[in-house]
Amino acid sequence: MDMRDLNELRGEFEALQQQNASLECADGSCISDEEAREDYPDYLRAIYAEIMPPAKSGTYFSRWDLKRMASELDESFALDVRERMFQKFMQWIATPEDMQAVIGEFKKLMDLKCDIYRDYATKYPATKESFDKKIQKVEASKAYLDKVYVEFFT
Amino acid sequence: MNDELKQEQTARINIYALLSRLTMSEVDEGLLKSIEDDENILSFFPTYAKWKKRDEYKSKELIERYLNVDFTNLFLLHLIPYESFYMRDDQMMETGGDNPVQAIFNAFEFKVELDKARVMAADHIGIELEFMYELCKAELKALENGDKEIALQLAQLQYGFMQDHIIEWMPMYLMNVKNEAGTAFYFDLADFVLEFILSDFEYLDRLKKNEFNYDALAEEKA
Repeated sequence: MDMRDLNELRGEFEALQQQNASLECADGSCISDEEAREDYPDYLRAIYAEIMPPAKSGTYFSRWDLKRMASELDESFALDVRERMFQKFMQWIATPEDMQAVIGEFKKLMDLKCDIYRDYATKYPATKESFDKKIQKVEASKAYLDKVYVEFFT
Repeated sequence: MNDELKQEQTARINIYALLSRLTMSEVDEGLLKSIEDDENILSFFPTYAKWKKRDEYKSKELIERYLNVDFTNLFLLHLIPYESFYMRDDQMMETGGDNPVQAIFNAFEFKVELDKARVMAADHIGIELEFMYELCKAELKALENGDKEIALQLAQLQYGFMQDHIIEWMPMYLMNVKNEAGTAFYFDLADFVLEFILSDFEYLDRLKKNEFNYDALAEEKA
């Protein structure tokens, strides 16, 4: 590999990165969280689309996370496709109090993840920017959960 | 090229190779033995080193009864070791040609044989770690040949790939692997990968702050 090849490759790499960044802007992900949130017909779709994606909430909710959160509320369901497990968890909600309890479980897990993000950001300062972004997403997502509660349960 | 830099680069290469292999497919008896027989490597698996099951079962049984089951749960069945899932707003995996990581690999002529690697997309954790291994290997070769300019370009590429990809998603996945591991081996592996990628990014960041000047970094360390 000579210097010219490498420079060309670097140029291509940077162009790809810029292209990806501009694609992200084209799909609206460069606008603020509040502006980007869509309106949804029900809380199930709202939470699945806005909280469950790690890219939006800064948190990965795995199948076991869903099972553990449900078990904290004395609910149990089998391990299944992640989306189906999420739907089962949401279908358990019957009252505004249930919804508050579910939101509480989501927030508890998000706070737990944030504590770990903060620890890593302190231990490895170069990663602080990345972890701070995730923490901001978590905070915006927690606020969004409160908004969903007000919108669909009050 | 001084010995310390060569040693450091060789260690990075070896660790990326090991982690790529262990996150890509099940551990086999030979690999497990080489981990157990090497004090340095075993020190990265402290829980596994003291794991009582090691006294109860021979390696083959340990692998078949416990480690393979855990690998399947953590890398194939219950958790998602693909970048696109963590980066896309629709939480979908990109298995086609539009995968941005695949596009980077194509640009570098880094060929991924998905069927051989038994992965569904190029943005699998094991493949991204292998890409870093290749970049580190090329950087060492450039340093040995006295091509510092090429070496620093390769270090810049590593920094960029880690910043835009690895650091953005792997911690989210690995934190869950740690949490959901059913064996000491995969708990330690998740911790090892997590701590290593974060500390390696710290190293590349220091190198970047020294304008990718290896000598200046060595002086800073001294």
